[in-house]
Amino acid sequence: MGRYVVRRLGQLVVVVLGATMILFACLFVLPGDPVGSIGGDKARDPAVVKELRAKYGLDDPLVVQYVHYVEKLGKGDLGEDYTQGRSVNEILQPKLVNTAKLAVTAIVFDVILGLSVGVLAAMRRYSVWDVSVTFLTTLAVGVPSIVIGMILQRFFVVELGWFPLISDGSFNSMVLPAVTLAIIDAALVAQIARSTMLEVLRADYVKTAVAKGLPRRTILVRHIMRNSVIPVITYLGISFGGLLGGALITETIFNWDGIGLALITAIQSQNNPIIVGVVTYSVAVFILLNLIVDLLYAALDPRIRLS
Amino acid sequence: MRGAKSAKWVVGAVIVALAATACGGDNKDDKPAGAGKAGGTFSLGLVEPVSIDPVNAQESEGILVTDNLFTGLYEPTADGKVIPALATSKTVSDDGKTWTFKIKPGTKFTNGEIVNAEAFIRGWTRLAAKDSASDVATPNVGGIDGFEALQKGTATTFSGLSAPDENTIQVKLTTPDFEFDVKTTHTSMSPVPKVAGAGKNQAYNDAPIGNGPFKMSGKWEHNKSITLVRNDDYGLTKAHLDTVKISILNSANASNLEYQGFQSGQFDWARMPTAQLTSAKAKYTAQNEWIQADTSGMNYLLPITENGPLKTAKARQAISYAIDRDAIIAGVFQGMQTKSTTILPPSFKDVYQKDLCVSCIKQDKDKAKSLAAEAGLKPGDELHIGFNTGGGHEEWVQAVVQQIKDVLGLNVKMDAKPFKELLAAQQAPGATGAYRFAWGADYPTPDNFLFPLLDSKSINKDASGKVQGDNRGRYNNPAFDALVEKARSTKDSAARNEVYKQAEKLAMDDQALIPLWNRTQFRLVNTKKFTGGAMDFHEDPNLAEISAK
Repeated sequence: MGRYVVRRLGQLVVVVLGATMILFACLFVLPGDPVGSIGGDKARDPAVVKELRAKYGLDDPLVVQYVHYVEKLGKGDLGEDYTQGRSVNEILQPKLVNTAKLAVTAIVFDVILGLSVGVLAAMRRYSVWDVSVTFLTTLAVGVPSIVIGMILQRFFVVELGWFPLISDGSFNSMVLPAVTLAIIDAALVAQIARSTMLEVLRADYVKTAVAKGLPRRTILVRHIMRNSVIPVITYLGISFGGLLGGALITETIFNWDGIGLALITAIQSQNNPIIVGVVTYSVAVFILLNLIVDLLYAALDPRIRLS
Repeated sequence: MRGAKSAKWVVGAVIVALAATACGGDNKDDKPAGAGKAGGTFSLGLVEPVSIDPVNAQESEGILVTDNLFTGLYEPTADGKVIPALATSKTVSDDGKTWTFKIKPGTKFTNGEIVNAEAFIRGWTRLAAKDSASDVATPNVGGIDGFEALQKGTATTFSGLSAPDENTIQVKLTTPDFEFDVKTTHTSMSPVPKVAGAGKNQAYNDAPIGNGPFKMSGKWEHNKSITLVRNDDYGLTKAHLDTVKISILNSANASNLEYQGFQSGQFDWARMPTAQLTSAKAKYTAQNEWIQADTSGMNYLLPITENGPLKTAKARQAISYAIDRDAIIAGVFQGMQTKSTTILPPSFKDVYQKDLCVSCIKQDKDKAKSLAAEAGLKPGDELHIGFNTGGGHEEWVQAVVQQIKDVLGLNVKMDAKPFKELLAAQQAPGATGAYRFAWGADYPTPDNFLFPLLDSKSINKDASGKVQGDNRGRYNNPAFDALVEKARSTKDSAARNEVYKQAEKLAMDDQALIPLWNRTQFRLVNTKKFTGGAMDFHEDPNLAEISAK
């Protein structure tokens, strides 16, 4: 188990290096001059440009720039951004916390709403409830989150005035972005929970448990729920990766000061250190979360061995 | 390089008195604009400014903040006039090289420090210092003696600035400039207290201490908010509002958020997404909350006059006659733009010569054809029109291209590029054809258009032939240059304006630029709670004059 964790963490290093290397190469061949992002769109004095390029090492060959980056990365330093001249860590860490808040709220929402809806639908198969769940979740999965976000904003902020438009860090201002982020995943979780639950209901061990005369509650919690939750957890682990993609859109719609918004702004201004920084963080977080999911997996199903 | 620039950088605005009256007019108490009672919190959204310290204040976002935190010698009115702020008098020597300003004695910064001549000299020196690396130093203080040494870092004081006494500033310029006083309207020319320190002083950059009608409440929360509160010790007419709450919005979605915020009552001022303009206009005009004004930004087609198909004035006139501006305004812009027939903006009332561009007034296919024939432009000839993607220009450029094709039969090539590449293409040696181009005023003076855009000194080619100046069309007419120089050395402002008018006419006769439309701006202001709201010269709300009802 311990060796497994160490090996997975070793993979993390390799993947972070791979991801940053690819990104570096992509940014390097991009047209335009990253120095242009310093001070907006203005063309600058050639002497100043030269100085800035030297300062940020932009005249070095790609390999040299990358080696410098990795050297710093080893010390936990993600460099300095081009527009504010502040450390990338200092800029991104509070944003990472903000995005994490949003993501955790969204996941909690996914689990509570998705699981309960899915389980209820499976238990009342082919009832009106089941049919409407199937219909609504299919619909929700098909609508892009940008549309969901804008509809929620229009209705709950502009028309009803229940939630603030601009986030102030309060729970209230987190509801709509978290719902937007969660809704598609929640629908998928409900569908997965429903189908696995139906499978489990037909399983021999459930029949055995019923035959043994175990209380209904015990069967549901110990045998059915525990086994149907595994695919849901797998899905949630994977969907965390998708959360960053969703955060790009959701954070933009709701002006949520997270890394998704930071990434969009950085791409617009070719602020490369921030772009690479966001990706580095996301890759690391994604791998760590997947590790946790795998560990949870083993805990829930002793048949799964980690080695 | 402010030309050819997107909305953010194009500064300058006029608001028709109409807007002010429209907003204040419905006031049931019938109080004059700006004379309401003290109090109230005015909320609005902005995109993250580049800087809120005058040392690098450059776009309307940052200027909105610095303008309210600082007060300099003069300020621009919404309709392009220059009025005194802290200055009590100005004198200029006959050679136009020495300026003396007297300032109002005894006013204070919000930390209690006195605003004296030294405070101005400190601010201007800080602006010019090498380490500040300010983007706005050269246009504003570049003409003052000693600027070069400061920029090189070989001096720490401004040899051209002195304070004969506590409240007198003496400025020595390297070349005559009878409009130096106009330049002091720029917010970067504000006085700063001792605590400001060097230009790159993070603590001060995030929470500047100034002498304006408002002061900071807390510091600039990057990407989040800026809060201003009334400065009760302000040395001039005090503001009415208690608080101005600025939420910082992301640029990808800002106009949408501002508009939604206005509708939900969270913002009292808003810019709008272009797509919503028509419906917003109908709705908010009825409620007296709609502000519309032609500002001091202009949109042109920039012909390359040095070589290529538009080398001759006749060829350029042919293109201008071939464009049906009215149709494009009605079709593409839904009537939300105003046709332009001049180089200078209508907000410059003293020099505005309506319909100076004869070829702009109405599309004339026959004239276009005969001028093209005279110029040797034949059907099938290639013409290249460059524009930047992502700025919402595709539709109208497409329309212009189609009209030129239809009328003159030219083989017009539409060349879409990212903004930075467009600028590079304009500057490159051998550029030909025409480009989308826009220019906004930093100061209310014709010089701010005519010199950078059309004077041959503004071409400024480097060794490789790349154009470094803002005269990207490479317009070169010694007679025009002479008129600009004459205007610059004319002391009397009325006489000077006459010379500027002659210069503009000459450039227009040469069709050195092809005017398209004025920059028309739209805003929403909450007139249910506030009175006196209007756009200022920088297209920002005039916060110091707004009051609660």
